[in-house]
Amino acid sequence: MKRFFLFMLGLLGLALAAEPIKIGALYILSGNFANYGQASKEGASLAAEEINAAGGLLGRPIELIFVDHGKPDQAVREAKRLILEEKVDFLFGIDSSSVSLAVAPVANEYKVPLIVTHAATPRLTEMCLPYVFRTSNNARMDSWAAAAFAAKKPYKRWANIGPDYEFGRVSWEDFITRLRELKPDVEVVSEQWPKFGSSDYSSYITALMRARPEAVFSSLWGGDFVTFAKQAIPYGFFKSIKFYVNPTGGALQALEPLGKNAPEGLLVGTRYWFLYPKTEKNQAFVKKYYEKYGHYPSYNAGEAYSGLWMLAAAIKKAGSTEPDAVKAAFEADGGLKFESIEGTKWMRPADHQVFEDLVWGYTKLTPDYPFAILEPIIVVPAKDTIYPTKCAK
Amino acid sequence: MGFDLGFFVQQFLTGLATASTLFLLAVGLSLIFGALGIVNFAHGSFYMLGAYLLFWVVRGNPEGLWWGMAVVAAIGLVLGALVERIFLRPVYPRPEHHQILLTYALLLVIEDGVKILFGSAYKSLGPPSALSMPVWILGAPFPAYYLVQILLAAAVAMLLWLLLKRTRVGLWIRAVTQDREMLEALGVPVPRLLTGVFALGIALAALGGAATLPMQTVSPGVAVEAVISAFIVVVVGGLGSIWGSLLGAFLIGEIQAFGVMIWPEFSIAFVYLLMAVVLLVRPFGLLGRPPAVRT
Repeated sequence: MKRFFLFMLGLLGLALAAEPIKIGALYILSGNFANYGQASKEGASLAAEEINAAGGLLGRPIELIFVDHGKPDQAVREAKRLILEEKVDFLFGIDSSSVSLAVAPVANEYKVPLIVTHAATPRLTEMCLPYVFRTSNNARMDSWAAAAFAAKKPYKRWANIGPDYEFGRVSWEDFITRLRELKPDVEVVSEQWPKFGSSDYSSYITALMRARPEAVFSSLWGGDFVTFAKQAIPYGFFKSIKFYVNPTGGALQALEPLGKNAPEGLLVGTRYWFLYPKTEKNQAFVKKYYEKYGHYPSYNAGEAYSGLWMLAAAIKKAGSTEPDAVKAAFEADGGLKFESIEGTKWMRPADHQVFEDLVWGYTKLTPDYPFAILEPIIVVPAKDTIYPTKCAK
Repeated sequence: MGFDLGFFVQQFLTGLATASTLFLLAVGLSLIFGALGIVNFAHGSFYMLGAYLLFWVVRGNPEGLWWGMAVVAAIGLVLGALVERIFLRPVYPRPEHHQILLTYALLLVIEDGVKILFGSAYKSLGPPSALSMPVWILGAPFPAYYLVQILLAAAVAMLLWLLLKRTRVGLWIRAVTQDREMLEALGVPVPRLLTGVFALGIALAALGGAATLPMQTVSPGVAVEAVISAFIVVVVGGLGSIWGSLLGAFLIGEIQAFGVMIWPEFSIAFVYLLMAVVLLVRPFGLLGRPPAVRT
């Protein structure tokens, strides 16, 4: 009995000694896109709960500190506060591309590894920063995948409608450059650049239709895609063209609000799709997530969940939370290969960009869900998305 | 591409649809400023609230649009009257910046209020099924629902005209913009009149917001965008002038529609260009009156 008591005391001592691993998670938790940040937060929280329920990492629990990243200047202030005052071991998350570009150099300077789970500008991993990692695919891979699909179609007259800022411009530039390489005889008949967050797309829709494109590329996302689609349908837009491709149109944040009004037969991409792959691991995650939050996990919820688990794998492999040890764990043996709910994520050692299978599909209404789902699903294998990097390794 | 009448008409109607939304949004702002002398920064917030309320009262059923809009307008009327009685009446005698602070505070309160009540995700409601198809006008497709919006705005403009020009209350509203004290001296119940005008302006904003929901989405950010659009309309048309709101909304709608044809990359710039030109040439707006000299 005495021995047992001592044993318990020892355990208690161990538990007290186990300082949590602190992770500062920056997501957009206010304003018009707070629903994106909220989904990311839910995904990351679920992963943290599971990790801690399984005994934590290296015997230490992990502690997520969620912060609203707002605009880049606010995000930089918050990142510095997390590093200097909260003394976090890692920075994590980030929804906005411009915020990621602002925070990355700060994290790197303080040698606090930053793991990006959502922001998709290719420029982030082209900065070649040693302590910056991205565990989801980026916009270039999405655009190139779209171009690969487009090149297989017989359509020559192409048009674009995208939001007028970094993401929209980069997506179209990457897409059309790639498509011209694959299929030199394409012709661009119209480019429309409505303001980001616009509420009225009608005149852009009619202008686009007047140019009589056969196929349209579009990087409108979230609420923009919803509003655009609602206005395009009664103009007969989707019936007037033969092919519509949108790399972010498969987001649940777009499909859920459209509900049963969603146009069918659009080719849309999504970085993670809750119905793919049909593995036990993924189905268990979706079930757990649905039971906890009352809705299905969006792509960025899935990416946040997978991202935290991938970081956990690197920490376990490193046997330490030291920045250089974790960096080495991500880079060693040709780059960390992590089996996530989405399938294998491979971290390219040179630029710290993850490559993984991309999920695309055609929108289809079914009796099983109150919104359009992807059917059939088309998977772009990771190997087809690999683009060259200038980062040295 | 030669001149294509069907396309021209389609683009013109598209501009009219935009103008209809802008008119319903801005006319209340103008009406309130004219009668109460208050610049209502929360005007876009009531417009946004109208869309949320519609979403809420019809419970996601698009077929409920018609009675839903009526209910929303009625709620707007009551809400407007309450806000005027409780918050605005005490600040009439105070300096203008107090009034601006008050309406700006309302904007913030409403924005956070909808976040608490409806969450931060955008809400969407489709058009009623009978109106979800295009109608064909001279061989060009046009959303049937936009025709409803245009008719709604036209009806509101007509009714406002009748109210202001053909009724005693309308006479008072026109008079109160000129000389409130004289009107009071004549025995007109001015405080009740002001409550009524504010309530009407808010009801129109809520109705306008509700009317956009079948073709747009609503989120907390809509409020600020809407109030900016409303200010552009009244700056162009003339603050305090109802016909100015109509003209301003029409010009901006059509400039957006045809600007895309001329110079797509800078189509938004045309609207601001118009505003700049109006400010330089007629600082009080196209149909606005130069501020009266108060004695």
